[in-house]
Amino acid sequence: MEAVIVENLVKRFKDVVAVNGVSFKIVRGEIFSLLGPNGAGKTTTIHIIATILKPTSGRVMVFGHDVVREADIVRKKIGIVFQDPSLDNQLTAYDNLYVHGRLYGLRGRELEERILELLEFVDLKEYANKQVRYFSGGMKRRLELARGLMSNPEMLVLDEPTIGLDPQSRAKIWDYIRELRRKYNVTILMTTHYMDEAEELADRIAIMDHGRIIAMGTADDLKNMLGSDVIYVKFDREVPEGICKALPSLRDCRKIGADTLELLVENATKSLPEVLSNIYINGYRIVEVSYKRPTLNEVFLHLTGRELRDSLESNPITQRRGRWR
Amino acid sequence: MDLSPFIAMVYRQVKRWWSARSRVITTIVNPLIWIIFLGLGWGAVFQPGSINSPSIPGIPVNVIAKTIEEYFNRLFGGVDYITFMVSGMAAMTVFMASFLGGISVIWDKQFGYLKETLVAPAPRWLVITGRIVGDSIVNTLQSLIIILLGFAITTRINPIGIPVALVYLFTTSIAFSSLGVIIALKLGSIEGFQMIVNLLTMPLMFMSGVFYPVNTMPDWMKAFAQFNPLSYSVHSVRYWLTGANVGLEYMNPTIDITILAVASIVLLSIAGWAFNKATIEE
Repeated sequence: MEAVIVENLVKRFKDVVAVNGVSFKIVRGEIFSLLGPNGAGKTTTIHIIATILKPTSGRVMVFGHDVVREADIVRKKIGIVFQDPSLDNQLTAYDNLYVHGRLYGLRGRELEERILELLEFVDLKEYANKQVRYFSGGMKRRLELARGLMSNPEMLVLDEPTIGLDPQSRAKIWDYIRELRRKYNVTILMTTHYMDEAEELADRIAIMDHGRIIAMGTADDLKNMLGSDVIYVKFDREVPEGICKALPSLRDCRKIGADTLELLVENATKSLPEVLSNIYINGYRIVEVSYKRPTLNEVFLHLTGRELRDSLESNPITQRRGRWR
Repeated sequence: MDLSPFIAMVYRQVKRWWSARSRVITTIVNPLIWIIFLGLGWGAVFQPGSINSPSIPGIPVNVIAKTIEEYFNRLFGGVDYITFMVSGMAAMTVFMASFLGGISVIWDKQFGYLKETLVAPAPRWLVITGRIVGDSIVNTLQSLIIILLGFAITTRINPIGIPVALVYLFTTSIAFSSLGVIIALKLGSIEGFQMIVNLLTMPLMFMSGVFYPVNTMPDWMKAFAQFNPLSYSVHSVRYWLTGANVGLEYMNPTIDITILAVASIVLLSIAGWAFNKATIEE
C-alpha cells in the first residue's frame, strides 16, 4: 500500500506557480527524496503533504487520508523536521520534547519513557537538561529528528535535513536517518539540494525543477538515462548547427548551454578520438573537452541544461556588490 | 476533551519565564521606577509640611497642612498618594507585561517555533488559550512581586485582600495578553508591534486612574475611561488591596469583574480566531 499519493498537484501563490502539476507515489517504508535547486517547489510540495499549506488543485492522500479534508488525521500520522530550526532555544532538550509530546496528546509515564528513549537514540541524553541555545547546529538537528519521532509517526518528513551543517555532522545525521528507518520502521519523505545526500539515503529520487518533476527513479535508474559515459565538448563560439549529424555512433547528442555539446556514449575512451577528429574535419575549434561517468549532477544537467551547482549559487551580481573592494 | 495541548503551552510559557529569571528584574524595575519617582515625588506634594502651607490669619499652620492632606487623601479614596500609586501599579504591571507576551509571539514567528505549534494536531484555540493562560500566570506572579515590594513603601496594603486582587489581575492579564497576541499575529515585525503598542498603552494607562483618580478627570477623559477595561482593573485591585474606592460612581467589585471577564472572553475568542487563520506561508 502507498504511504503517499500525489496527483496533479498545483500550488499557486499570488503571482507565482510554485508547484505545477506534480504526481508521484511513495511506497510504505521507503526513503523518497525530492531533489532540486532552491525554488524548485520541493518545500511547497512537502508542506502541502504535511497539511501546512492547502493545494490550489490536485489531490494528496497520506495513508489513505485526504490532506485537506482529513488534515487532523494526517497530522497525527506524520512527524516533520522543518528546513529552518524550530526549537525553543530557551527550553531544555527535555522540555522541547515534553511540550511537543503534550501537544500531540502524550502524557505521563509513556511520554517520559519516549523522551528518554529518543534522547538516547540521538545521543543527547547527557544534555537533556541543557538549554537548546547552547547546542551546536548538529545537536539541534538531532534533537529535531528526535522531536519528529516523538508522536511515533508512520511517516517522517524531512526538509533539507543537513542544510548548513559541516561534513562530519552531515554524515552523522545520515547515519541517524538510516538507523531510525530501520528501528522505527517509518516511511521517510525528504527534500534536498545535495546530490550526494539523495544518492546516499534515498531509495527513490524525484528530480524537481520549476515546479515540475522532470525525472524519477532510483539513483541508478536516473544515471542509466545517460548510458555509461558523458562527453562535454566546449566550442570557442555557439555550438554549430547540425554538428550532431556529423558525429558517428552516439546514443544521444544535444546542446546544453550556448557553447557546450553533451554526447552520450558507451565508452568515452574509445569514442573520443573519433568525435574530436570529426569536429576538426568540419573546421571547428574546441576550447575544452571532458568526459565522466554520470552522477546525478550530469543527469540534472542533461535534463535542464543547467548544473545543479549553478542554480544553488546566489545571483553573481549581488555577490559582487556585497564584496568590499 | 483532551487538555494536553493546553497544559503543554502553559508549561512552556511558565518554564521559559522561569529559565530566564534574570529578565524578571527588568519587568519589575519599570514599575518600581514609576513608584519611586512619581509616587514618592508627588506623594510629598500631597502631604505638605507646615513650611509650604499657605497661612491664613487665625488658623494654626499645622491645621491648614492637615486639612490639605485630608483633602487629597479623600480624593485618593482615604489613602495617601504612595499607597494609591502602588495599588494602581499592580494593575499596570500586569497590563504592560501582557503586551510583552505579544512580542514573544513575533519572536516565535521569526525563530520558527510558531510552525511547531501550528502543525500540531491540536485545536488551535486550545493551543493559544494555553499560551495566554501561561503568560497570565507569569504576569500575575510579577504583579504579586510588586505588591509585596509595596509593603516596604506603604503600610496601608491589606494582606487579606491580595488573593482576591490576584484573581482580578489574572483576568486583566487574559484580556490584554489576548489583545497583544491579536496584534502580534497581524503584524510581522517587532518594530511595527512596538509602535502600535506604544500608541495604545500610553493613553490606556493615563486614562485608567493609575496615576490620578478617574472621578476628577475632565468629562471627555472620563468618557474614554469608562470603555477602558484597565480602569476597572485599577479600581478593583485598589479596592481589594487598600479599601480605597476611587472610580466612577457605578463602579463596584462585581461590575468590575464582570466587565473584565467579558473583555477577556471576547478578546480571547478573537485571539483564537486569529490564530486559527494563521498560516506559515513564507
